[in-house]
Amino acid sequence: MNKQESRTGRVIIIGGGPAGSALGCYLSKMNIPNLILESNHHPRPHVGESMVMSTIRVFEDIGFLQTMEECGFVHKYGASWFEVKGRESSIRFADFPEEGISQPYTYHVERGEFDHKLLMHARSLGSEVYQGVRAKQVVFEGNQAVGVEVDLGGESVTLSADLIVDASGRNTLLGRQLKMRKNDPIFNQYAVHTWFEDVDRGQSETADYIHIYFLPVERGWAWLIPISDRVSSIGVVAERDQLRQFHGDADGFFNEYVKSNRALEQAMAGARQLHPFKTEGDYSYVMDRFVGDGWLLVGDASRFVDPIFSSGVNIALYGAKFAADAIQDAFDKHDFSSDVLSPFEERTRQGVAIWYEFIRLYYKLLPLFTHFIRSEKYRAGIHRLLQGEVYDRAEAPVLDAMRKYIATVESNESHLLRGQLASIPIDDLPLPE
Amino acid sequence: MSSVQAAIKEFIKKELAVGLSRDIDPDEDLFTSGILDSLAILQLVMFIEEQFGVEVPDGDVVFENFHSVTAIQQYVNGREAQVR
Repeated sequence: MNKQESRTGRVIIIGGGPAGSALGCYLSKMNIPNLILESNHHPRPHVGESMVMSTIRVFEDIGFLQTMEECGFVHKYGASWFEVKGRESSIRFADFPEEGISQPYTYHVERGEFDHKLLMHARSLGSEVYQGVRAKQVVFEGNQAVGVEVDLGGESVTLSADLIVDASGRNTLLGRQLKMRKNDPIFNQYAVHTWFEDVDRGQSETADYIHIYFLPVERGWAWLIPISDRVSSIGVVAERDQLRQFHGDADGFFNEYVKSNRALEQAMAGARQLHPFKTEGDYSYVMDRFVGDGWLLVGDASRFVDPIFSSGVNIALYGAKFAADAIQDAFDKHDFSSDVLSPFEERTRQGVAIWYEFIRLYYKLLPLFTHFIRSEKYRAGIHRLLQGEVYDRAEAPVLDAMRKYIATVESNESHLLRGQLASIPIDDLPLPE
Repeated sequence: MSSVQAAIKEFIKKELAVGLSRDIDPDEDLFTSGILDSLAILQLVMFIEEQFGVEVPDGDVVFENFHSVTAIQQYVNGREAQVR
């Protein structure tokens, strides 16, 4: 059988989370047949409940914005940061409108419902969707991915495709299979989170913003995300080493850090816990490669960075958008080799690298971030980053300004911010002229 | 008391050392007395830039320039003289 005859003309997407479902939508709109395999039955709970502004573009592309409104998800008009002593600094998206985005807010979502609706949307646009079907592994002929082995009622069946997309999320199916996964050398955080009722979200103007709390430990922070009028998602993130002090007790870890920020303590004073705590470990990682012959990785299956800026769903959705372009190119050329798919890898790597650089500079000198969002000179630049608008490093001169400021503090012994420098390494980030 | 000194004192009392009931001695050390901390300093820098129309270079945010109200006043006067 020659190569041409063996073509199935379809794509198999492993995983029906935001990355897989959005990709299904894009491909169906391009008339590229695709099949989504989801191991769970939606709706199922998931963490990662807050979005940035630029996700709106993807929802518009795939005709999903109306569903977002119909679901009644909480409108997110901005973001607030709270220093340990409680001082609040905030940004309002409407202050810096982005071209092509017609509304001044994005969303906080209940991920069970959001993921379910997006998967059903993919089906309505033409994706073949199977839930409760677990992908066991990607099947290769030589280096070429040719199909997916699935478990169907206890029997192993191989489904073939021209292209396999791993959108399996933090499960990182293909990353584990090909041993491509590298844990991040800097970040080894641990998160403890769940839902609460009767959380005090503070002053009315910023009550529906995402609330980010600084914690008095390096790389430590907490989130408050409004899920509905009644329910708030609260999570605490800190380096995994810190957990040892609590002898692995997640409750103790959570409660202690809640008390360490005055504003968070106040918000939680009358809160009632709705579910047992959930934990996330092995926080940040990246795969050696995002593409190969006949396969590519999108969303958390390719890389995961500290989600302090609500970047997760955004990276998933833009990964899907960029992957769809690459896949269309591959179908046009009848060539599914890594050479054809590699522009996708460059584009996504560049985008996530910007988030990652921003996150590191942020942690390196926390007061600088609050200074920049209050400063007239830098406010707009920080806004663009926070809204997820930057996928080209040349459009982020504000990162150079942060880097330079940090260098000034590092080289000046009597600088008043010197005591605030964190240990996180940034020397590999080039110092601008 | 110069107007620069008065404006600085007022800003510190109103925005940075909320709840401080006593007056600030122009020569007292703002850091050892706990009136200012390193988180508040950037707010003060921004205030100075906006209020007096001078630029405070990143490298000037040092103890010598900000340890007392008098020091801040002298620093601002110096920057104003450079602008003119």
